[in-house]
Amino acid sequence: MKIELRTVVNGREIETSVKANQTLLEWLRDDLRLRGSREGCGVGVCGSCTVLVDGRPVSSCLMLATNAEGKEIQTIEGLAKGDELDPVQQAFLDQQAFQCGYCTSGMIMATKALLSSNPTPSEEEVRDYLSGNICRCGTYQEVMAAIKTLAEKNLANR
Amino acid sequence: MSALGENFSRVDGPAKLRGWAQFTGDIEMPGMVYAKALRSGYAHARLLRVDASRAAKLPGVVAILTRDDLKGMNSHFGPVVKDQPVVAMDRVRYVGDIIAAVAAEEKDIAEEAVELIEVEYEALPAVFDPAAAMEPGAPILHGESAKSETRLDRDNFRYEKNSNVLSIYHAEQGDIVAGFKEADEIFEDTYSSQKIQHAHIEPHAALAYWEPSGKLVIYTSTQNPSSIRAQLAELFNLPQSKVRVIVPYVGGGYGGKVHPRLEPLTATLARKAHRPVQWVLSREEVFLTAHCHASVVKIKTGVKRDGTIVARKVEGFYDTGAYALTGPSTTKNGGEVGGGPDRIAHQDLTTYCVYTNTPPTGPYRGFGVPQVCWAYESQMDDIARRLGIDPVELRLKNLVEEGDRFVTGDTLVSVGISECLKRAAEAVGWQSKEEQQRRALQGKVRGKGLAVMIKTTMTPSNSSALVRLNADGSAVLLTSSVEIGQGTQTSLAQIVAEELGISPERVSVTFPDTDVTPFDQSTSSSRTIFTMGSAARQAAGQIRQQLLEIGAHALEANVEDLELVNGNLQVRGAPEKRRTISQLFQAHYGAAVGSMAGSYDNQTRGGVDPKTGKGKASAFFFLSACAVEVEVDSETGKVTIEKIVSAVDAGKAVNPRQCHMQNEGSMIMSLGSALFEEMVFDNGQPINATFLEYMPPSMEDHPRQFQSVIVETPHPEGPFGAKGVGEAALGPVEPAIGNAIANALNGLRIKDLPIRPDRIFKVVQSAKEESHEN
Repeated sequence: MKIELRTVVNGREIETSVKANQTLLEWLRDDLRLRGSREGCGVGVCGSCTVLVDGRPVSSCLMLATNAEGKEIQTIEGLAKGDELDPVQQAFLDQQAFQCGYCTSGMIMATKALLSSNPTPSEEEVRDYLSGNICRCGTYQEVMAAIKTLAEKNLANR
Repeated sequence: MSALGENFSRVDGPAKLRGWAQFTGDIEMPGMVYAKALRSGYAHARLLRVDASRAAKLPGVVAILTRDDLKGMNSHFGPVVKDQPVVAMDRVRYVGDIIAAVAAEEKDIAEEAVELIEVEYEALPAVFDPAAAMEPGAPILHGESAKSETRLDRDNFRYEKNSNVLSIYHAEQGDIVAGFKEADEIFEDTYSSQKIQHAHIEPHAALAYWEPSGKLVIYTSTQNPSSIRAQLAELFNLPQSKVRVIVPYVGGGYGGKVHPRLEPLTATLARKAHRPVQWVLSREEVFLTAHCHASVVKIKTGVKRDGTIVARKVEGFYDTGAYALTGPSTTKNGGEVGGGPDRIAHQDLTTYCVYTNTPPTGPYRGFGVPQVCWAYESQMDDIARRLGIDPVELRLKNLVEEGDRFVTGDTLVSVGISECLKRAAEAVGWQSKEEQQRRALQGKVRGKGLAVMIKTTMTPSNSSALVRLNADGSAVLLTSSVEIGQGTQTSLAQIVAEELGISPERVSVTFPDTDVTPFDQSTSSSRTIFTMGSAARQAAGQIRQQLLEIGAHALEANVEDLELVNGNLQVRGAPEKRRTISQLFQAHYGAAVGSMAGSYDNQTRGGVDPKTGKGKASAFFFLSACAVEVEVDSETGKVTIEKIVSAVDAGKAVNPRQCHMQNEGSMIMSLGSALFEEMVFDNGQPINATFLEYMPPSMEDHPRQFQSVIVETPHPEGPFGAKGVGEAALGPVEPAIGNAIANALNGLRIKDLPIRPDRIFKVVQSAKEESHEN
């Protein structure tokens, strides 16, 4: 069964129909071919499929595509403006805060969400907020360092 | 500026940070269909009937593979023993064993079809731990079938006929009986370790199709394209040139993707479907596909009162699961270094690789060594405590040194282990006297612990590299080394750049494609920087030599007086006399066109004689130390890692930051298995096969103080002195944590991993009860 869906993905308005049982992640990957969001666990706990829905971080493997009706979705592909990386991407690059890169999109999207709700998080707040984004390569130290530079910049600009 | 020893920015950064990097599961082909497997619900059963006729009628089903399709063709695969069927033939051997597979137009059709396949089982007795599997009368998993001439390693290991013992490794030196007679004190313990998930966040994935000419093409998330090519060629009776294996970015491996897992089935299904078939495992299926060998290690050590270790006997039992994969080599690896990094005159080391009705294992970061390290380094602290010797002093007294003859017969070179230990001890703030004071077992108590490790690397092994220099002074390295997150494309680019005197930014490194890139044994065993790095350096060196000769002619100088710097060939000390690489091409070819190629086939030589366990076990040795400070809540058993330091002898750090990140990754990974990670089974049924119940360490588990130290003892055969580091930090973490906990608890010791709170609670409670009774 197909259901009508009207939504906005990375600033692009989309009117389409989706399968009733299709997850947001499947729809993004299979239908829109946005493959930067990736499945790691399928049960919403590893964070590698994190996207922003109306600015809030969501495990897209757990949300049905139909629930995106009337909402704005942002994925990793929507962050950079041409050659210019998003500040979070740039900070991750500067700190080399990635290894295999499979969890990286989700880690960056969760960081976006964290900084938009709390521009100057403490280390404790970072650890707590990102505890749902698993990096088996163990790149946490560099991710925390990247977020610290962003928080310091935000503090200076306040 | 030198390209070497610099934190050169990773070449894969922009792609990975933009979400643009392609992993196997991101690739699609026109006409692609999706695979799903039917898996056994029984741990051990005979298959009476497999009937896919109802499933075949479901619209959208393209092909179904059952045992009927394998009749008359090669049905089994395996890198050492061909014991694993593409789909189950006569019986299933673990919960999750594959019985059949469906390819369908859509994923949910494949899932629905799998449910329609009818199977009748006849349950068989099953066995779940290696000790029980070695008992007389235990159900036999493979019998003679795995012991026949299909054993590729039949000359390399001992094995027992008609038993679950797949291989036995043994080595000895001196006279173990006399050794124990010399000892003043003897320590005997049994340690165990659990089944652990690799938990690479990218599940295994493959995409296979057959070209009409009969050539097989497969994209796969593997660490080992050459093994996949060889295994598929044998399975389908094809020349290796008719199997093309392409490996995009791999989302973590840690050993779990070294040998065929889903490639044989994906390729077989694609052949039947006449369509490209994509198979991406669910997380639950990953749990059923690979894990780390659980182990039981019995260790007996004899020491002199002054702390000299005189004799050590080790018996290790490795649970290899239902299929062999690399179990025999993992087990051998553990056996070779089972005595630890100590000079011990009398040693007797035996390890057993044993089948059980549990999911298959295979390599796991550390490759059989953490299991024995957990035993010998935990016991070392008990020895120190009993003898009243500082644990650092005791280790320094016994540790191997440069030029020592190891139990395997190797002469040790590039031995920075004492330096590692000293640096780790210093970083954790080790104070000899203070650390050994007794503490009141009340509330929260603190303790520090250390451990060291020695490990071999795959030897002999081959890596070939091909370098092409373009007329504009840029270069391409063709290599089959896989970018699994360790940054190999970057560090190999640095090596080529250093040799050619150009910037690493001008070097491009390929992804593996067996039609194009030369042979590499495997991206595992932390061998890439050493073995492929040497090959890449030699290949680039041939071009360098050619440039020098052209330049000598053009500049009327001696080759020895020339150097390659910043893309120029110049006279040393007179840089105004120089030519750009383009000008050298011009001089050579008459125009700035063409290319110059260098190619090198590198083999690290060696290997051990299976009868004696002697030879050259390793092209280089991993040496490392770990130091930890913990806080233990003696009322609840909760452990907090306050500080962890890992020190690794990298030989020469080509890219120091990447070396540190490998160490950090090893520390975090092993912290999980030290304290909480554990696959749980009930009669063979997996209980916690999801990330809801089995969680790798998160940022909240990341210790507040976390430090990686690199020691550089250059290796004469490594490129610019470099050795591998990928696994080096892993082994000593578990015993260092165990030792810190024992230190906090006045020597109370947990000998089974993981060191869960309930286990700590139990030993603290019984110690308290004992002290009341006294």
